[in-house]
Amino acid sequence: MLASPLWNWIGIAPFFVFIFLFLILPSFNLFTGAFYNMQGNFTLENLQVFNNPFVLKSYLISVQVSLITSLVGGVFGFFVAYAITVGKAPRWLRNLIMTFSGLAANFGGVPLAFAFIATLGRTGFITAFLKQVCFAGAASEQVCPLNPYDHGFNLYSLAGLVLAYTYFQFPLMILTITPALEGLKKEWREASANLGASSWQYWRDVALPILLPSILGATILLFGNSFGAYATAQALTGGSIPLVPILIGQQIRGDVLGNPHHGYALALGMVVVMGITIFGYTVLQRRTVRWIKA
Amino acid sequence: MSFLQLTNINKKFGSTAAVDNFNLAVEQGEFISFLGPSGCGKTTTLRMIAGFEYPTSGSITLQGNDLTFTPPNKRNIGMVFQSYALFPNMTVAQNIGYGLKIARKSKEAIEARIEELLTLIHMENMGARYPYQLSGGQQQRVALARALAIQPQVLLLDEPLSALDAKIRVELRHEIRRIQQQLDITTIYVTHDQEEALSLSDRIVVMNQGGMEQVGTPDQIYNFPETEFVARFVGQINLLPVEVVNPRDGVIKIGDHLLRAGRFGKLNGKPVRLAIRPEELHPGYLEGSNNLSGKVGSITYLGSIIRIRVDVDGNPVSLDVFNERKFKPPSVGETYQVNFPVEASWLI
Amino acid sequence: MDKSLNSKRVTGWALFWTIAALLYFFVPIYGTLDFSLRMKRGEISLMAYQIVFSDPRFLESFRYSALMGVITIIVSVLIFVPTVYWIYLKLPHIRPVVEIITIMPFIVPVIVYVFGLIRTFGKPPFQLTMTPFKTDILMLAGYIVISMPYMYRAIDVGMRSIDVRSLTEAAQSLGSNWLQVLFNVIFPNLRIAILSGALICFATVMGELILGDFLVRPALGPYMASIGKTKAYEPAALSIISYVLTWISLGFIQFFSHGGDTQQQITGR
Repeated sequence: MLASPLWNWIGIAPFFVFIFLFLILPSFNLFTGAFYNMQGNFTLENLQVFNNPFVLKSYLISVQVSLITSLVGGVFGFFVAYAITVGKAPRWLRNLIMTFSGLAANFGGVPLAFAFIATLGRTGFITAFLKQVCFAGAASEQVCPLNPYDHGFNLYSLAGLVLAYTYFQFPLMILTITPALEGLKKEWREASANLGASSWQYWRDVALPILLPSILGATILLFGNSFGAYATAQALTGGSIPLVPILIGQQIRGDVLGNPHHGYALALGMVVVMGITIFGYTVLQRRTVRWIKA
Repeated sequence: MSFLQLTNINKKFGSTAAVDNFNLAVEQGEFISFLGPSGCGKTTTLRMIAGFEYPTSGSITLQGNDLTFTPPNKRNIGMVFQSYALFPNMTVAQNIGYGLKIARKSKEAIEARIEELLTLIHMENMGARYPYQLSGGQQQRVALARALAIQPQVLLLDEPLSALDAKIRVELRHEIRRIQQQLDITTIYVTHDQEEALSLSDRIVVMNQGGMEQVGTPDQIYNFPETEFVARFVGQINLLPVEVVNPRDGVIKIGDHLLRAGRFGKLNGKPVRLAIRPEELHPGYLEGSNNLSGKVGSITYLGSIIRIRVDVDGNPVSLDVFNERKFKPPSVGETYQVNFPVEASWLI
Repeated sequence: MDKSLNSKRVTGWALFWTIAALLYFFVPIYGTLDFSLRMKRGEISLMAYQIVFSDPRFLESFRYSALMGVITIIVSVLIFVPTVYWIYLKLPHIRPVVEIITIMPFIVPVIVYVFGLIRTFGKPPFQLTMTPFKTDILMLAGYIVISMPYMYRAIDVGMRSIDVRSLTEAAQSLGSNWLQVLFNVIFPNLRIAILSGALICFATVMGELILGDFLVRPALGPYMASIGKTKAYEPAALSIISYVLTWISLGFIQFFSHGGDTQQQITGR
């Protein structure tokens, strides 16, 4: 058996060739494209695209949606995860939740959009159900006050998007934060009670400080997850709501910004946001693991 | 009424009785060990004293106050956990001071007490360290300090040394006893290690399968075991099936050997065994003592002790001899004579 | 009533949140199911499903995606298993680098990745978007990259749980060469890991929209999107079909990897 280093590297050559061709190269092209203009010269002018009001609006709305869904999904997911771990829900209930969290976290894109249209669209299941809740009003006519569309609700709006995104956000939170919650040793709770602390003092002084990095990290992960999502938004709103991924999608189809290199800059901007979120998540996870393993 | 009283404590999990009819009166300042194998109920009983479990029936009183169903954070009982359970997000000092912070003591009082305790456990300059930076032994000492900081009336320790190396274990257990005596604090110590129990305790409660086997001083437990379980669990024991020759004088027979038992109860025809500790057996023949002989089955070197197994009429008898230079061990297969004093043996 | 610290009673709050979660999981699905069964006015029928299943475009795109899924799995496994094996055995120091590489598809959102893919390979010198076959190769590569975090990690976790070094040395001492070690020893022991990676991979490919849409290939995702634009009941039926498919795939994973790190497999993190 040859022990020469060259021989070693041959074994992983196929992988690296593949990665170079189909991951490194496209990424590299994209990023360098952001710093070159149409004449082929190095420039920073493409970053001007972030001054474009349309682009700014997309970023604003993307950040808005991502912030809302990561907070809503984060809080909801945390409480559910709490219920099935510390809250001592019965084993079968916990398994049920974990299984469906796995399912729901992976259920997105077009089918999810369809599901929400079928549920909360104008003729959807819940809408129809709510429309039927009627009372006798004045002059004995039927008053059906619960039609959400009468109150300005529209599934194909920001609100609808948030509802749909939450469907896969909160299960992702459950899956991510449950290990951290399970890492909370029962003895810490007992030790704190032994020292005179009440339930809420335990949470304030011990449990939440220990969990905080994990919770933060998971929320950041949720933010990134929402920020990069394309298919659900496209299928639900048809591109009518300006989000950064939608904008990039339009760039791919045709040059809506007037300069293809602006599209690259846009893509780069997105990757920077995602990169920061993944980095933040990893760093914060490491901190929790260190404490829990101690 | 004694300082800490456990009366008719029972704990059932479903239909299994984890603790069965536990009764104990503990005096102020006593060091009591609960000793027994895994699953014998010692930890469950301890946890009931701490308040992490409530008994199915029975009562616990401390200085006359009924504690049985008081929540654990209102009992003023300190506990040291097997896994230390130090709060990872707090420094050593913060861990130690936590109970005092909850009790709303002043900042100066807390700091003073932390200093006091750090000195007590010989970790004066380590207040700012975090648990993950400490060794197992250091963590355990901090756990002890933390439990003592609130000046509890009773200190509970749940197998505190079992996760540590043998040498550290010995060091630390002396520390624990020293501190306990210095503070004169009533202590209950759960362990499965008989050496710990014997060397530390004022009294030992030997437990088995939820029940109490015997309560007594280390001397009583070791030298006067009341049940076969205690005899077997604490120390080594030889149990020889013997035939009763004279029930009134305790004369029994094994093979061709006629022996006398030092202690015996009523011998009413039930099969009995002669119990004798390996360290009481000596090589050779001694007039006036019990004498046995047989073929040497094996010789095991245990360090300072050599354990020789002799087969007497098909039954193994172990004798422990000090590994001194002047002692010449026999060879396997050789016929060997051993003797033991009558008073050191009893019938079970 | 046992109100002790460690009583096994479920708290009211715990029940509330779990029920809320279950409602959120189920109501949309139930609503979709109900909607999909109401194509025939006034009665429950499977008409929407019948239409879907008899639509030649559905069958074509299902077949296409399923085939792509299988090929993606096979090629992924053939590339990744030897790679992970090699790294464990001989090049442990590049593990951190490779780990970062396999995380990259998380950092680069699919839409951005497809952007880069098309810009790189749609032009000279590659020109891979000219013919369907060449585009399919591009699709395959894209699918492999998109599912890499899950597939690679599944294999990595599986490799970690078998003692690679000892097994290899044992096999070699009995006369095997590299290929034989790989195929007779390593692959069989990684069966479960490969299976869970494969199932996620398959679910990913089946549900993937962006690659198929922008590269204009007849995948299931684009088909569903186009149906959504014109029909009402069929999309609901498709949604249910898709949900059931995902359920089956994940169900298989749970079944085969009892006690494995399912959470990591399913979320890739």
